[in-house]
Amino acid sequence: MSARAADALAPPAGRYPGLLVATARAALVALLCAVIIGPLLGLVVWSVAERWYWPALVPQAVGLKYWARITRGDLFGALVRGVTIAVITTALALLTAIPVSYAAARKRLPLGPVVLMLFLLPQAFPQLPVFASAAVLFYRWNLAGTMAGVVLIHLVGGLVYAVWTMTAVFRSIGEDLEEAAINLGASMTYTFFRIALPLAAPGIVASAILVFIYSLDEFTGTLLVGAPYVTTLPVYMYTASLGYEMQIASVTALVLMAPGVVLLVLMERFLRAEYLAFFGRL
Amino acid sequence: MRVPRARPVEQLLWWMAAVPATAVIVVGFGVPLLQSLAASFVRDGRITLANYELVYRLYGQDVVYTVLVAAAGLVLTFGAGIPLAGYLRLHAAPTVEFLLKIPLFVPFVVVGHAMRIFLAPRGTLLSVLHALGLISPDASLGFGQTWLGLAIALAWKHLALIVLLLMGAFRAVDESYLEAARGFGAGTIRQIWAVLVPMSASSLALAAVLALTSMLASFSIPLMMSRGSGPQMLMIDLYYRFGQHGDFGVASALGVVSYLLASGAAYYYLRTVSR
Repeated sequence: MSARAADALAPPAGRYPGLLVATARAALVALLCAVIIGPLLGLVVWSVAERWYWPALVPQAVGLKYWARITRGDLFGALVRGVTIAVITTALALLTAIPVSYAAARKRLPLGPVVLMLFLLPQAFPQLPVFASAAVLFYRWNLAGTMAGVVLIHLVGGLVYAVWTMTAVFRSIGEDLEEAAINLGASMTYTFFRIALPLAAPGIVASAILVFIYSLDEFTGTLLVGAPYVTTLPVYMYTASLGYEMQIASVTALVLMAPGVVLLVLMERFLRAEYLAFFGRL
Repeated sequence: MRVPRARPVEQLLWWMAAVPATAVIVVGFGVPLLQSLAASFVRDGRITLANYELVYRLYGQDVVYTVLVAAAGLVLTFGAGIPLAGYLRLHAAPTVEFLLKIPLFVPFVVVGHAMRIFLAPRGTLLSVLHALGLISPDASLGFGQTWLGLAIALAWKHLALIVLLLMGAFRAVDESYLEAARGFGAGTIRQIWAVLVPMSASSLALAAVLALTSMLASFSIPLMMSRGSGPQMLMIDLYYRFGQHGDFGVASALGVVSYLLASGAAYYYLRTVSR
């Protein structure tokens, strides 16, 4: 957006007719649509292009031939494998992250800040060299090329999201209710399961979704630790595009994007506050 | 009310609760990080700086290229992100906000593939421009596989996160300052540059550091868009050195260079976040 365009978008200051402002605003939305949606639209066109010669704007032959591949063969296998890995990763991430996050949020973790910092490392350092090194270790431990190895590497990245969102969530619900319960004679365990956990439920769902999507989309770790034996959709897509199978790669890309789109809608409606709090914190 | 200090038994329990997750990070990230650090100084079983010498000789140019691409991506992201976040702070525009969030949910590999199709010498963008009569069919767009194409793809992916971070910072600026500015006749631009940006300088710096680190370490997008010749992003070199040459030593040295590039940024980032 140019500076001049932004100035034109200022509230009508008397001399600007309202029409001009409305037009400038519409122009901004149109420009953003083109910039944001444009590149993604190319995927949709390629996914149905059965014959496409330059320089035609649209393909000469259009069909769902490549979409039919979703239901069979490698693509379907990669999809199922990826979802399985994502479900296991999410479950493990929640199970292990909830205690850490709760303890950190309530400042009951000795060396809490240091422990929390550990969970920022995978976000602050380049992942590829570390995962390459992990692949060497995993090979030694017979974890390379196995589902367990891929889950472990996904868990490393997933825990960053899980721990930091849930710490924010537990911090946001406040301690008063738990203190009241303890004062009334409830045990710590009872208080945690009956007060803290239910109150944090929406935030836990939010972080579960984030971890699930992260795992589904994870590429670097899967490629280094899992390939060629454990293939998920992102790796499958990369392989397809290497062989210049543009249609297959585009279909895969659209399938990969689907959960994100659903998440976007969900987040808009339900999980907005937690979500923003999380990113502000990162 | 102050929380009473935990008793030793309780403290032990909290420690134990933290063990599984911490162990995963230590085994899956900490140990490999240290291992790559150690391996970068070993070649043919001897402790040496040979790996670094090779990195300097073979990949010196690529290090510079990586920094430049990341810097260009950063400039593009903030060039678009600051006006957009400022505009959204000053005027409600739900459609713009929704559109901006879309890239946040598009996986990196998909961004790489989509941009490669879009910006290719005969890609979607070119055919649209041609159909609109803006360029001749013989023209080549040329920048899809250059530093500019990469920077555009990186900026596209990072814009949403940056706008979200900046909007959070801008929203924390008290309305009264903006009202005062408006009272003196400041328009949208003036309010952004003279009030919002200086008052959120530290958040802006944090967001810049976050984006720069991520762009320096970008792998999937350059991999999807990469080509055979010319300078490469560091992570691509590292991947091929490791995967195809099986040269863990040089790959590790490249990794250490990338840690160093990111560490200034990472240090600032960790310090600000932990405060």
